[in-house]
Amino acid sequence: MIWNVRKGRAGRTKEVAWRASALLRPGSKALVLLIASAAMPAWAQNQAPAGMALIPAGVYRPLVRDATEPKEVPVKAFYLDRLPVTVGDYLQFVRANPRWQRSQVQRIFADESYLKDWSGDLEPGTNTATDAPVTYVSWFGAKDFARWKGKRLPSVAEWEHAASASSTRPDGENDPAFKHQVLQWYITPNSSLPGVGTRPANFWGVRDLHGLVWEWVLDFNSVMLTGDSRADSGGLERGLFCGAGSQSAKDAADYPAFMRFGFRTSLEANYCIHNLGFRCAKDL
Amino acid sequence: MRTKLLSLMGLACLYVSAMAAADNSTNVPRHSCCVEAAPPSSHLPGKSLYQLDARWTDDQGKAMPLASLKGRPQIVTMFFAHCQYACPLLVYKIKQVEAALPEEVRSNVCFTLVSFDSERDTPAALRTYRMQHELQGNWRLLHGGPDDVLNLAALLGVKFKQDAEGQFKHSNVITLLNAEGEIVYQEAGLNLATDELAHRIGQMVRH
Amino acid sequence: MISLTWIKAPWAVMFKRRGVITKESAAKKVKTNIVKIFGVVALTAGAHTLWGAQVASNFMDGTEIGGEENALLGKAPNVPPPITRKHPAKVIVNLEVKEITKRLADGVEYNFWTFGGDVPGSFIRIREGDLVEFHLNNNQNNKMPHNIDLHAVTGPGGGAAASFTAPGHSSQFSFTASTPGLYVYHCATAPVGMHVGNGMYGLILVEPKEGLPPVDHEYYVMQGEFYTGGKFGEPGLQSFDEDKAIDERPSYVVFNGAVGSLTGNNALTARVGDRIRLFLGNGGPNLSSSFHVIGTIFDTVYPEGGSAATRHVQTTAVPPGGAAIVEFTATVPGDYALVDHSLFRAFNKGAVGTITVSGPENKAVYSGKQSDNVYTGEPITNVPVVVSATPQNQVEVPNLALNLREQYARGRAVYSQTCFVCHQPSGLGVPGQIPPLAKSDVLMGDTAGVIRGVLQGRSGELTVNGKKYNGIMIPFGNLSDQQIADVLTFARNTWGNSDTNALTSAEVQAARKGAPATLATNPFE
Repeated sequence: MIWNVRKGRAGRTKEVAWRASALLRPGSKALVLLIASAAMPAWAQNQAPAGMALIPAGVYRPLVRDATEPKEVPVKAFYLDRLPVTVGDYLQFVRANPRWQRSQVQRIFADESYLKDWSGDLEPGTNTATDAPVTYVSWFGAKDFARWKGKRLPSVAEWEHAASASSTRPDGENDPAFKHQVLQWYITPNSSLPGVGTRPANFWGVRDLHGLVWEWVLDFNSVMLTGDSRADSGGLERGLFCGAGSQSAKDAADYPAFMRFGFRTSLEANYCIHNLGFRCAKDL
Repeated sequence: MRTKLLSLMGLACLYVSAMAAADNSTNVPRHSCCVEAAPPSSHLPGKSLYQLDARWTDDQGKAMPLASLKGRPQIVTMFFAHCQYACPLLVYKIKQVEAALPEEVRSNVCFTLVSFDSERDTPAALRTYRMQHELQGNWRLLHGGPDDVLNLAALLGVKFKQDAEGQFKHSNVITLLNAEGEIVYQEAGLNLATDELAHRIGQMVRH
Repeated sequence: MISLTWIKAPWAVMFKRRGVITKESAAKKVKTNIVKIFGVVALTAGAHTLWGAQVASNFMDGTEIGGEENALLGKAPNVPPPITRKHPAKVIVNLEVKEITKRLADGVEYNFWTFGGDVPGSFIRIREGDLVEFHLNNNQNNKMPHNIDLHAVTGPGGGAAASFTAPGHSSQFSFTASTPGLYVYHCATAPVGMHVGNGMYGLILVEPKEGLPPVDHEYYVMQGEFYTGGKFGEPGLQSFDEDKAIDERPSYVVFNGAVGSLTGNNALTARVGDRIRLFLGNGGPNLSSSFHVIGTIFDTVYPEGGSAATRHVQTTAVPPGGAAIVEFTATVPGDYALVDHSLFRAFNKGAVGTITVSGPENKAVYSGKQSDNVYTGEPITNVPVVVSATPQNQVEVPNLALNLREQYARGRAVYSQTCFVCHQPSGLGVPGQIPPLAKSDVLMGDTAGVIRGVLQGRSGELTVNGKKYNGIMIPFGNLSDQQIADVLTFARNTWGNSDTNALTSAEVQAARKGAPATLATNPFE
C-alpha cells in the first residue's frame, strides 16, 4: 500500500472482529459494525484525539471498479475529524507557514483561486466566517495542513466508509431516505457557506460529511474515469489506462456516489474550488 | 592567373568554413545526460515541478533531487517494471521518439522514467530494467518513496492505484517539461505516433 | 556600356566553350544570360501572382478559413441572425454552465443545471466548414463538474472527455463543423440522465454553405421533461426525483424549460402572410415528441434536422437527442397552439405553447363559426348487454304496441343484469327452489301482488303452475319505479307470456307507498 497504517491494539481487535464477521451472511454489515464497536475496548474511544471520532473497521464497496478489482475493500479503524477544517484553523496554519500564504504560494501547489475569498494573506475578511469550512484550498495545501497537525488526509475508502453512515444507522446505503437527502444537497446551489457543525452528526459522531462542502481525499487521483460517462461505462477508453481498462459503476442508481466520484475525477491537485474543503484523519 | 587565384581562394574559404561548421557540430560535448547534478537554482518559475522537495534515487543508487533535472527539457513518464501491458508500449514509444530526433536535439534532452512501485522497483531492479531495455546514458530511472510518488503523480496529472496483487493501474501519460521544469505538453493514450512529440521537443531545444 | 569584366572569369569558367573567348563574345554571352534569368524570374513572379489569386478566390469561394469572430448566442425562443459570410471562419464559442434555482411553473421552483443560465441552453449558430474553438466555462459557484457533447462534433464523445471541467475552471477544445444540420448538445457527465434531466441541453445549427431560404421569423423551441418529487403544480422548491426518471414518469413535459414559457405574454408572434421557421429540439431525457401546431400544416419539414425536405406535414416526430426544422406560413389570424400531440402531456403536464398571428381575416381559407341552430336527431337507444347467447335463451321481441316497446327493451336490460341470476335467462327458474316466470300463473296474476313481491321480496312456500317452490327472494326496492315497471313489462311479454296492458311507474310508486318495509311472507298472495 502506498501509505502504511500502523496497527494498534484497537486496530487488531477490529481486524479480528471484521474477519469473524465474514462468516456472517451478507447484508449484516450493520450487525457487524455494532458488534465491532461494542467489542472495542472503551479506552480506544477515550483515546480519540480532541475533535476526532473513531471510525471502526468495516468494508467499503467501491462504486467504481473494474472486473479485476474486489467488490469489497476492508477498511481498518481510524480516527476522523468530527468537523471539516475551518477558516480559523487554516489561518493558524498559514501564520505558521508563510510559504502557504496567498501571496507566496507557488502555482504548481495552488492555482489562481487559492484562498480567493480572503481579504489578505492573513485576513479571511468579513465575508468569510472563521467557523466556515475553509475552501479554495488545493490538495497540496490540505495535505500540508494535515501533516502540520500530525495527521493525514483520509483515503477514498476511509472517507466513503465513514460517510456511508446516516444519523441513525451505520449502513446508510440501505436507507433510501438518507440517500435522497444527500442527493438534495448535491443539486441545490449554495454560494455562501454556513458554519460547520450545525447539522446532526452521523452514526459515528461525525458531522457535515454531506451537505456542506466536497472534501479532498488522499488518493483522489485513483479513480480511472475520463469524465465522459458513456465511454467510461462502455469501457471504451482502454488506451488511456493501463490495466483492465476504465472502470464502471456498480450501481447506476446510486447518484450521490456517482456524483462524488465524478467530482473527484475532474480535479487536479492544485485546484482551489469554492465548494471543496477537507478534514483530517489519523491512524490509531 | 590572378583570376584563377581569386577563385581558388574563394573556394578554399568556402571549404574551410564548411569544415569548421561540421567540426563544430561534432565537437559538442556529449554529456551522458544529466549525470552532473546542476546546483539547485534559488529561483524557479511558479509552475516548475522542480519545486517539489522530493528525494529520488537513480538506478545507480545515487541521490537525485528533482531539481537536478533542471537545465534540459525532459520527457517524463511514470511506469513500473512489472507492467505487462501499457508501460512497455510507453517506453517503446519514447525510444521511437528518441530515434526520430535529430542528433543535435537528442543530445540536449533527457528521458526520465519514474516508478510507481516503491517496494519492488529498487535501484537494483531499475538497473536490470535499463539493461533489458537497452536504455542509453541520456535515460534516467528514478525510485522514490510512496509519498513522493503520489506527489509527483498529482503534479503530472497522472491517475494511479495499486491493486491487491501489487500491480498498478494508471493512466498512460507522457509529459514534456521545459528546462525550467514546467509542463509544456502532454500526450495521453497509447497512440504510437511520434511526430507531435518529436516536433515539440525540436522546437524547444532550438529556442 | 557597363563593364562586366569583373565577373568575366567565373562566367567564363561556367560557360567555357571550345574556341576563343573574346571580350566581346563573353560580354554578349553574359548579357544574354542576364536576359534569360530575368525572363525566368518574371515568369515565376507572374505564375506566383496567378496562384495567389487562385488562393484568394478559393478563400472567397468558401473553402479556406478566413477571419476570426466570437459566436453570437441566442436566448430561447430567439436565435442569432442568419450568417451572411460566404466563407468559413474561426468561431470562438464561450458557453458558461450555471446551476440556478428558478421558476418551473407558477408557485413551483426547480434546481436547474443550465448552459448559459437558461433551459434550453444558448442557441449556437455557425456555418458549414467553420473551425470552432469551444470554451466550456464552469461557474465557480457550481457544485458539479460538467462537460458537453455536441452532436455536431465528429470526434470521441462529441467533445465530452475533452471538455470535462471542475467548478471554477474552463476547458477548451476545437472542432471543424464539416456537416450542416441542426444538432442537439447536452452535458454527458455521469449520471447523464440526471444532468440532462436538470436541463442541460440546447441546439447548435450548422448552416449549409448556401444558407437557409429566407423567412420572416425564426424561433427556437426545445421540449424536455422534468421529474420532480411533487406532482404537477405542487408548489414549492422541487428537485430531481431519480425513481420517477428511471420509470420514465415525468411530472412536467414542457417547452423551453418551464410551464407557460411560450404562452400568454411569452407567446410567439407573427403577422398574416409571414413565413415562420421553428428550430425544434428534444432534450428528453426520455420521451419522444409528436410536435404539432394546431390549426396549421407544415409546408416543409426537415426531419431529424437533416438535409432532406418533406412537404405538407401535420405532425413530426422529434426523438430525445434529436431535432427537426419546420416551416409554415401564417394564413389566418388567431392563436395557434404548439403541442406535443401526446395529449395528456400537452394539457396536464405543460407541453403547450402559442403562436399569435395577427392581421386581416381570410374567410375563404377559414371562416370561423357561421351559424348555430337547434338540432335533435333520433333518440338514442342504449343497446342492453345480453348475458348469454345460448339458443334457448334467445329472446324474441314480441309484437308490442309502440309505447310498450321501450319499456320492454329497458326491462330486458334490467332482467339481464339482476333477475336472471335466480330466475335464469330462460325464465325457468330452479326446480323446487326458484319458481319459473315462463308461463307463470303468479306472474300473470295480480299485478299489485307481483309488484309488492319485487319490492319486498318473499320467503316461504309458493305454488306456481301447480308446483311448490320453497326459497327466498330478496327485496329489490333499490330498483327505481320505472325499472320495476319495465322489468315486469319485459317478463310478462317473454317466454310465451303476453300482457298488452301497460304497467306504469305510478303503479309501482303507489305500491311502494302502501307497502310495509319488512319482508312479507308471501306478498304474492
